[in-house]
Amino acid sequence: MTAGSLNQRSRVGEWLLFYTLSVIGALVLSAILVEATGGDWRPVVSALLDGSLRRPGRWGETLGTAAPMLLVAIGTIISSKAGLINIGQEGQLFVGAAFATYFGFLIGGPGPINVVFILIFGAIGGALWAGVAALLKYWRGVPEVLSTLLLVSVGGQVVAYGLSKTWILLAPLADRGNRNQVSTQLAKNNRLPRPEIFGNEVPFAVLIGVILAVIVSLALSRTVWGFKLRMLGRNPRAAQRSGVAQTRYGAGALMLSGGFAGLAGAAMLAGGGFAFGNYQLVPGFATNIGWTGLLVALVAREKALVAIPVAFVFAGLRTGSSFVGATGVEGRITDVIQGLLVLALLIPPAVMFIRDRKRAEALATDRV
Amino acid sequence: MSSGSLDKAGAGSSEPVPAVVFRNITKTFGAVTACDGVDLAIQRGRIHGILGENGAGKSTLMKMLIGLVLPDQGSIEVDGTVRQIRSPQAAASIGIGMVHQHFSLVEPLTVWENVALGESGKLDPAAVRNRIGDVADRYGLAIEPDARVGDLTAGLRQRVEIIKCLRRDPNIVIFDEPTSVLTPEESVQLFASLRQVVAAEDRAVVLVSHKLDEVLHATDEITIMRHGRVVDHLDAGSADAPTLARGMVGREVSLRSERAALGVLDAADISEHTSSSVASDEPPVLQIQNATAKGLGGVTLLNDFSLDLRAGEIVGVAGVEGNGQRELGDLLSSLLSLHSGSVLLDGTRVPDGKSGAMARAGIGVIPEDRHDSGIVLDMTLAENLVLVDQSSVSRRGMIDGSALKDLAESMIDEFDIQCSGPDAPMWSLSGGNQQRVVLARELSQSPKVLVAAQPTRGLDVGAIEYMSQRIGAAAAAGVAVLLISSELEEILDLSHRIVVMHSGRVVGEMPRSDADLETLGLLMGGVVA
Amino acid sequence: MSGFLQAIGDILSSESTYINGALFAAFLAFAATGEWVAERAGTLNISVEGMLLSGAFTSAVGYDITESVAIALVLGMVGGLIVAVVQAEMSHRLTADQFVVGLTLNILVFGLAGFLDNELEPSTKLAERWAIPLLSDLPLVGRALFDQRWPFYTLYPLIVFTWWLVFRTRWGLELRSVGENPQSADVSGIDVNKRRRQSIYYAGATSGLGGAFLVFGQVGLFEDSIVGGRGFIAIAAVIFGGWTLRGTIAGCVIFAGALSFRLSIQGLGYEVNSELLQSLPFLVTLIGMAIFAHRVRAPTALAQPFVRGLK
Repeated sequence: MTAGSLNQRSRVGEWLLFYTLSVIGALVLSAILVEATGGDWRPVVSALLDGSLRRPGRWGETLGTAAPMLLVAIGTIISSKAGLINIGQEGQLFVGAAFATYFGFLIGGPGPINVVFILIFGAIGGALWAGVAALLKYWRGVPEVLSTLLLVSVGGQVVAYGLSKTWILLAPLADRGNRNQVSTQLAKNNRLPRPEIFGNEVPFAVLIGVILAVIVSLALSRTVWGFKLRMLGRNPRAAQRSGVAQTRYGAGALMLSGGFAGLAGAAMLAGGGFAFGNYQLVPGFATNIGWTGLLVALVAREKALVAIPVAFVFAGLRTGSSFVGATGVEGRITDVIQGLLVLALLIPPAVMFIRDRKRAEALATDRV
Repeated sequence: MSSGSLDKAGAGSSEPVPAVVFRNITKTFGAVTACDGVDLAIQRGRIHGILGENGAGKSTLMKMLIGLVLPDQGSIEVDGTVRQIRSPQAAASIGIGMVHQHFSLVEPLTVWENVALGESGKLDPAAVRNRIGDVADRYGLAIEPDARVGDLTAGLRQRVEIIKCLRRDPNIVIFDEPTSVLTPEESVQLFASLRQVVAAEDRAVVLVSHKLDEVLHATDEITIMRHGRVVDHLDAGSADAPTLARGMVGREVSLRSERAALGVLDAADISEHTSSSVASDEPPVLQIQNATAKGLGGVTLLNDFSLDLRAGEIVGVAGVEGNGQRELGDLLSSLLSLHSGSVLLDGTRVPDGKSGAMARAGIGVIPEDRHDSGIVLDMTLAENLVLVDQSSVSRRGMIDGSALKDLAESMIDEFDIQCSGPDAPMWSLSGGNQQRVVLARELSQSPKVLVAAQPTRGLDVGAIEYMSQRIGAAAAAGVAVLLISSELEEILDLSHRIVVMHSGRVVGEMPRSDADLETLGLLMGGVVA
Repeated sequence: MSGFLQAIGDILSSESTYINGALFAAFLAFAATGEWVAERAGTLNISVEGMLLSGAFTSAVGYDITESVAIALVLGMVGGLIVAVVQAEMSHRLTADQFVVGLTLNILVFGLAGFLDNELEPSTKLAERWAIPLLSDLPLVGRALFDQRWPFYTLYPLIVFTWWLVFRTRWGLELRSVGENPQSADVSGIDVNKRRRQSIYYAGATSGLGGAFLVFGQVGLFEDSIVGGRGFIAIAAVIFGGWTLRGTIAGCVIFAGALSFRLSIQGLGYEVNSELLQSLPFLVTLIGMAIFAHRVRAPTALAQPFVRGLK
């Protein structure tokens, strides 16, 4: 056994240990919180498991919730690789869904083809919304971390405006019953299929998400485009010298990221069922999927394939939380668990980073 | 007085307690042994030179004295007492101060704020200003306390650095490679100040340098270090350049390039030179015409700068750092946009500031700071070799992993790069090897022009020789080479034609055969001949 | 058009515009002042939103327990500090990415506050109003600046103290050096990451106070949507102000103006598109940044983590 492989084994062991400890720490803290507010953690855990996996039809629901999160995460990974901080996915998702709704009804072709259009226009909508932030950054120097965020609120209002006018998004009076701001429901043949697998409805979007995760993962690591993007993210000056134009590649990455969020929105619209507004655009449509997708990307440490299981876990927290209320504990506890988990998962890489760099900087000392 | 107790290298039997004694100091960083059983004594009232090439261990040794590094083994005695020096503030409290090579100044702050930085206790601007006045008077280092450090020249900034060090009244003052940013005249002034510091108050002054000539003339005693060990200790009066050179490098130093690397060119070296075989009426490959560039706040970086470069010729751009050299390098790396003026390659205009344009036009660059724009630390060695152009290892937009690996392996061989393999992350390579990767990449693009900016900075003599050789070979093969360096010796060693840069423009130009140190020194200082 | 100008005129001459504007500006300023200190040290701390919310919540709980507004304010500062400790330790001791940590903290605090609010349901009230004689009779701005509930007045000494701290003390000098050139500061013997952590603690304390102010000085109760994304406007104010204290306060006033405008226009009975109005403060912030972002000079080491030995 060479020194190299021995090193490898102990490193993987270190990683596993750190991560396990961190996750346990987060869970223990959550349990303490539950107990401290008068609840009992055992039924909460049980409810979570019931809601996400155990009860009939639930794991399909979880998968269906994971799909848009995964899509958002993939987009976020792309912009992160380019060194950009996009935190406006919630808004890009919503605007994308609005675009999808509008153009979906406008074009109105034969069923299955129209679904494709809905998805494409969703992506375009999200990309354009991220494009506003890109424009502000590369033309006026506004940091994208702020602009993407501010655009979430603005985007929400823009779509709300659209939902108040029948000539944009609002459904005609006859179709919308008592509700004030909903779009027309998508026709049955304009929806993404939800095939039944082992008694669970699994939305088609899941397959789309997984395929795209694989494609993007390969693209980032094996293509010239991915190479240039990574260069831009790691050393923009070297990138500038090497012909990777910041504006083109950066704006492109940001818009692509928005596009994925918009695609997620369109997928929620066209394939979501009751969890996502029942094929209608409603206020607050995004329901925090954008934020959670962002967190998935952060936890997955910019690896698109890792994002798949991470999205599933976060989706599980969400679908499980609807069962938690019945135990007498406030459903919001899952938000807390989610936050604690993310923080806990940030610690091991940070610690390992310092250790790795300290080992290596010794080797790299120029002036001894 | 017994002779045994202080009988270490350099400490005589009847001399007083040395200011500093290093006993058996050892320090390793991972696999690299920086200091190996170093014994050294530094006396008061003397200027003690520590001479060694880059990588000899002198810098690490001094870092231990100033509290930035802790020794693995051995002990340090200050004025006879063993001390554990854990921080710069601790060092200051026992009377040790250092004037740093790369300055410890914060540019947007004023002189007095910088001088006050690192002290403790209430902030009293008036007291600091008084102290500055005192120190300035005593040592002849006049400075305006409310000036913004960012507006000062390198020479003045060094003055601030010195005042910052002296205001705490240290008994032991360390000067770390002080002349790298000075003109020859400023260096002379500096050494005069050093004499004052030592003579007036019986302090101990340590001069750390890789420049043999300097150490020979400015110090009282010399310790030579090589590969982490002390190899010799002698009186400056009885030392001569060849002995020192031999000590530094471990063998006879015969090549002019080696002497250049050590900072000691003799008269013969200066009159002998490589003559250029390039006829001066050949059309230039690179033309920079009236380049003017401005920075934040309207400050002029390049001022109507013009230069012609021909194939096979090495043009050395001499000058003290901070006069536009970095900007010149940035311009040719597509990192700087011009206010006016243009860059032409083979007569065709190359757009400035446009990403990748210079590289695509055939201008290779070894940047003065490879971490800034030369390499991507987080990518692998192989990836760094194809930063600029991936076409040789890619097909239809996909990178061919095995082609990349093959390319990397052949480069590693050809350029003798020490690493764990093509997939080694760039941050795991030593500085010298990182520089080789840059060299390998740039040369493999078959550039028409090669810009080498401070190419041998921080390298040891062997590596310096290798670089010089490669640069010479490139020129011989027809590449137009632009050598930008603040080390005059390097310029004199390699150039066919010398251009002096000051305040962003060319202030003097001469063929190598006409070069003399005095004129060059004056031009570098901004004095128009 | 004339209707529009009339509307502007009405708004600018109405005292309530200034009163609301002052309230919003103060709220933003509590957070922005602290964030200014943190950014001068080179950190970019986006957990301001969480700090504000945490301060609001802990102050509400504090009042619920002690029935003292003063203690509640102090507890609000503690609430902000708690968030700051997590942000500081994770980003400037453990080198976790400060954006990621900040973002996560915002979400975590939001969930936690909402959860605990439902469990505990703290009751609060508005603090007493103190009018400063003479000054509060000034036309238009008199009541806005000098006739508010007393927590409002803690802002004035806070701003002065902050200025003094950053420009007249050694700590402030070291803070500024750490934000401009951490390598030089390090070599000069300053503990870079310690100063940065301390700057974040300061931001936490002031933002916590700001959250408490919101509850006791303006709104009178706690709900989890009480901050509503305005923490980010405070961050924008620092950038808009070119990282000067004066500019930051100016930014707070301008952005608060947009918030106040929104209220006033409805209050005065004008019919304006409600979605436009809702998004107005954020739009103004975006436009303000778009105009000014290019012209300002950030602290050189802003948002660059410092680990000794690495460039």
